Amino acid sequence: MRIASKLILLALFCGTTVLAQNKELLYDFYEIPQSLMVNPGVKTSQKWHVGIPVLSGVSFQGATSGVTVNDLFANDGVDFTAKVQDRLLDVMGNKDDFSSTNQIEGITVGFRGKNRPEDYYSFGMYWETDIISYWPKDLAILAFEGNGGDNIGRSFDLGDLNLRGEMINVFHFGINRKMGDALTLGARAKIYSSIFQFQSINNSGTFITRPGQNNIYESVINADMQLQTAGIRGFYDIFEADTGTEQSDVASLFTKRMFLGGTLGFGVDLGFSYELNPQTTVTGSVLDLGFINNSKDVWNYNFSGSTVTDGISVFLPEDINNVDNDLWQDLLDEIDEALPNGENESGYISWRPVKVYGSIRYDFGQGGSTVFDNCGCGVNAGGGTNRDYYRNSLGGQLFMMKRPRGVQGALTGFYQRRFGRVASVKATYTVDKYSFTNIGLGANFQLGPVNFYVLADNLLSYSNIADSHYASLQFGFNIIYWNDN
Amino acid sequence: MKKLCYSTLLVVGFLFFIAACTEEQDFSQIDDLSVTPTLASGLFYLESDEATINSAGALTTFYFREVNFDAFNEQYVAEHLLEGTITYEIENTTSKQLRIIIGFIDDAGNILDTEIFDIEAGPSSVLTREVFYGQGGKRLDILTNTSSLRVSANNLSDDTSVSSAEDPKVIFRSGAEFLFELQ
Repeated sequence: MRIASKLILLALFCGTTVLAQNKELLYDFYEIPQSLMVNPGVKTSQKWHVGIPVLSGVSFQGATSGVTVNDLFANDGVDFTAKVQDRLLDVMGNKDDFSSTNQIEGITVGFRGKNRPEDYYSFGMYWETDIISYWPKDLAILAFEGNGGDNIGRSFDLGDLNLRGEMINVFHFGINRKMGDALTLGARAKIYSSIFQFQSINNSGTFITRPGQNNIYESVINADMQLQTAGIRGFYDIFEADTGTEQSDVASLFTKRMFLGGTLGFGVDLGFSYELNPQTTVTGSVLDLGFINNSKDVWNYNFSGSTVTDGISVFLPEDINNVDNDLWQDLLDEIDEALPNGENESGYISWRPVKVYGSIRYDFGQGGSTVFDNCGCGVNAGGGTNRDYYRNSLGGQLFMMKRPRGVQGALTGFYQRRFGRVASVKATYTVDKYSFTNIGLGANFQLGPVNFYVLADNLLSYSNIADSHYASLQFGFNIIYWNDN
Repeated sequence: MKKLCYSTLLVVGFLFFIAACTEEQDFSQIDDLSVTPTLASGLFYLESDEATINSAGALTTFYFREVNFDAFNEQYVAEHLLEGTITYEIENTTSKQLRIIIGFIDDAGNILDTEIFDIEAGPSSVLTREVFYGQGGKRLDILTNTSSLRVSANNLSDDTSVSSAEDPKVIFRSGAEFLFELQ
């Protein structure tokens, strides 16, 4: 128990170091090729681009909507148990979450069609881990305080257990097409190669101990709970076998599943950019509209049923001739029978967390020359109507994401300043459930064909990163080529 | 390529190093976490009507049973139990004076403790008794060594009288609240 509770707490707070999939700094930052990954219909200016393998797009995000690492682990002399009670149990609700998302781009390549220069094709592969765990408020209180004392009569919601996680490798291919002077559309198809997936998201039920109708206390439980996993058993078996070759076996299984050897899924991204006028652009995208068919290495656990128990009961005269002395074991058997639990290997579908972005941008401050060379695709043709002549952009963005407990949203205001082709800087202010003081800063540098970008969120929290509710960092290197000259 | 990789990590790491600060954190505090839930449960319930008591005869035992009861001496419970209270309630609407005895028996059949309840003939008020186990109360090892309960219900009156109460009964209730130290 000692080790288990430590692991649980550490897992929760490791989760806080890295979340939330909102990439408000990258979104519509079209100087960065990876902006195609958050809007396949973003404006593209380049002839082609190639990401530096593994370094073209690295992003780590982490968030907690409730307690921070500093709240609990600050060396402040306050009793740790009191901190857990006051800052965790008494404060956090079942909609607070700990989550973590990271992405590492393995390969990314983009190129403009030779015969159709208005089309920009891109493909690649990235690795993503996404885990979210809502704070299981009632279960935590049950574990810390128990069902007795002041909790007699309290109904504990078993549905508070809600978590989901997966590690996938994504192969993708996208087309970005300029439909005319104003409209750009984009679509991306994705094949998900799952390394593992787990979810326990549709739990329901209650547990209550109250003054009994017969005995002093009776406990009532109604439960319908399930943990679904795919891909976990394989790794578990490797460690369970204890052959001494665990490291290589894990690496082998991991590699196999990364490259389509595990369960597979399919999804699409869609997006657009539309210029309302030469200075105003609206954009939108829907990402990860897809699913994974978890059919291999499935290992589920179910717990369901309902029962009322008030201990051993003897009624006379009905039980006068009952000579069974194992009444305690009989009671346990009855409870066990009323609450069937066990494992199964039924496959299941898991839906990807769908994300939606939208933005409006106003460009102003006309520059003296074009920022990008003409790629011959009509993107930056048009003389005075070219928006790249505008050095400044101001706008707002909306982000929404489907999470197990509903839609999670964020609003962002941003300002972007371009310094010729060499550099561009974007500043954001974002409001979401994690923070009201999230100021982010991103910079993109273009040194000849070498492109480097770095984007960081919630800068104000860097004065004490352990006290941050949200932190994110993205960076990457690309080689970008604009024309044949 | 390798150089670029190292350079990138160095640059990004340096940027974070100069930008990010954190107050001193002490993760070893987790060792000080104390998790002490109070668990409550009904234990044993006995109900008998007056006719059953009369049919057993005067001045005799109308119910006797030794039942296995391993709830307390399960290894996990025995190792983590800090203290506890067992509450008994007896309600008698029969015309009988009764005595109920609960014996706590260990694996070897030794009686570790007994609780004796003398109950006035009904209608009488509800008899309530709370027995505390732990520091300042009865020894905790009575509970942790108990593997069965011996329940004896005795009629101390005649076998002919009948209460005028509607559906006369004796009801014995018991429940426990135990404090555990899980961490």
